[in-house]
Amino acid sequence: MTTLLEVYGLNKRFGGLHAVRDVSFTLQTGSITGVLGPNGAGKTTMFNLLTGFIAFDTGTINFDGQPLVRLAPHRIVNRGLARTFQLARPFVGMSVLENVEVACLAPRVRAEGKAASRAQALLDQVGLGEKSHQLVDVLSYGDLRRLEIARALATHPKLLLLDEPFAGLGAAEIQPLADLIRALHRSEGTTILIIEHKLSELMQLVQGVIAMDFGEIVAIGSPPEIVRNPRVVEAYIGKEDFDAPGLAIRGDGVGAT
Amino acid sequence: MGILKVDRLAVLLASAALATAPLLFDNTYAIGVLTVALCFGMWSASWDFMSGLTGRENFGHSLFIGAGAYTAGFLNVQFGLSPWWSLAAAPVCAVLFSLVIGIPTLRLKGPYFALAMLSGAAVMQNLTIIFSKYTGGQDGLNGLDPMLDSPLAYYYLVLIFLIVSTIILKVVANSTWGTILRAIRGDEASCQACGINVNFYKIASLMISAAFAGLGGALYAHYQLQVGPDLFAIVLSINIIIMVYVGGLGSIYGPVGGAILLNVLTESLRAFSEYRLWVYTLVLIFILFFMPQGLIAPLWRRIRSFVA
Repeated sequence: MTTLLEVYGLNKRFGGLHAVRDVSFTLQTGSITGVLGPNGAGKTTMFNLLTGFIAFDTGTINFDGQPLVRLAPHRIVNRGLARTFQLARPFVGMSVLENVEVACLAPRVRAEGKAASRAQALLDQVGLGEKSHQLVDVLSYGDLRRLEIARALATHPKLLLLDEPFAGLGAAEIQPLADLIRALHRSEGTTILIIEHKLSELMQLVQGVIAMDFGEIVAIGSPPEIVRNPRVVEAYIGKEDFDAPGLAIRGDGVGAT
Repeated sequence: MGILKVDRLAVLLASAALATAPLLFDNTYAIGVLTVALCFGMWSASWDFMSGLTGRENFGHSLFIGAGAYTAGFLNVQFGLSPWWSLAAAPVCAVLFSLVIGIPTLRLKGPYFALAMLSGAAVMQNLTIIFSKYTGGQDGLNGLDPMLDSPLAYYYLVLIFLIVSTIILKVVANSTWGTILRAIRGDEASCQACGINVNFYKIASLMISAAFAGLGGALYAHYQLQVGPDLFAIVLSINIIIMVYVGGLGSIYGPVGGAILLNVLTESLRAFSEYRLWVYTLVLIFILFFMPQGLIAPLWRRIRSFVA
């Protein structure tokens, strides 16, 4: 296995708030990893630093053998690092197909064929094929999540960052979406990093977990190691309901906006 | 009939109607009114290309119009160049202005671009008065040469420029470029997450918008045979925005129709003499209140879905 992403000593302060503190970790090519932590732990900020939406103060990020130094977000996407947003951000007033077409026009993938036909294939892949000519404005929350994933996949990412893909979804929508993510990981070999509050879903999906609290990484390990880790348990108790025993820590409503 | 065939037929019919219009009146005054209306059509379509598609409102389109018109004035009156040079030089000058305003402000979120355009036009209006030695001050530059001697022939020249410009802008707006510009209107951050260089597309579309506005400014200057500080006026920019909204935002052809409609309406309301502005304003309020999507573009979409 080769290393795809290497983060070392990443720091970000917002005034007096140390949002991300000395974060270091590596991701192997083809792995699927979760990022766990209570609200305000710095998970989304870390995503924003990785994808260039916010500039980091100190630290190094090596992606695919090259450092990411103060690159604009679109350049990072064109290097092969794509993301979805915690709140789905569709292009309102445009059709579902057009929404994905935009991502098919990124310089990285522009030459791969006609944007419209590629977009349709991606929509078929995420299960939105029949809704391609609807306006995005009428899509359900679960469908918007799928649209975000289709858009991110359109840029052929080597690493896909999913920011709370299950937030705000009902139980009936979560399982098919988890199946989709699992299928993408298997068939395309895409390396995936997922932020998720819903611990039970996350633990079924991932091979490794990065646990964060107060901007710091408190533990890195396999799912069973993480749920037994005293610092992780401590970070969760008192902040969220801790369902008895084992995996079912509930984050419903906490990060689900 | 396929959608494309219907559209081509509509372009032909609209062009034919505009080509016959001056023949119906056959007096120099009416031809002049129509020529000005066509210039407004070019300005509205070019405003719509950038602001209508990307949603970044430009409150100083007159900056590009004035830049184009004064370029024509300087080259023709001060340097004695043939008026035909204006057609090439005016767009270039307007594009330079678009870079000066667009590069620093279109990268920022917030109202900076709108405010910079607004103040850029106001500053230029004042500069033409301050440097009156070169610009003629309030009186402007007078005695430009006409491009063609016959007003009717000049009307047809402007009409050809309008039709070609509108078709170019519409074709680009319907291409993947237009898709990206509309995506920028939807959500800039998402657009970046799709790997699109948002700043490049915003600045480039402003350059295109400025080029056509400047060309329209030069055509206008060689119709009036005079350029003055009012070409930079805020009220001109506001009028263009109104014409775009009446025509239908983001449709390119709608604003052309809106511009011609409102120009002709202003003229035909002369019968109301001092109540003219009242009636005009009432008509505008009526249109924008009951047809917030505009008049021309939604109307055509309805006809098209009926015919096609």
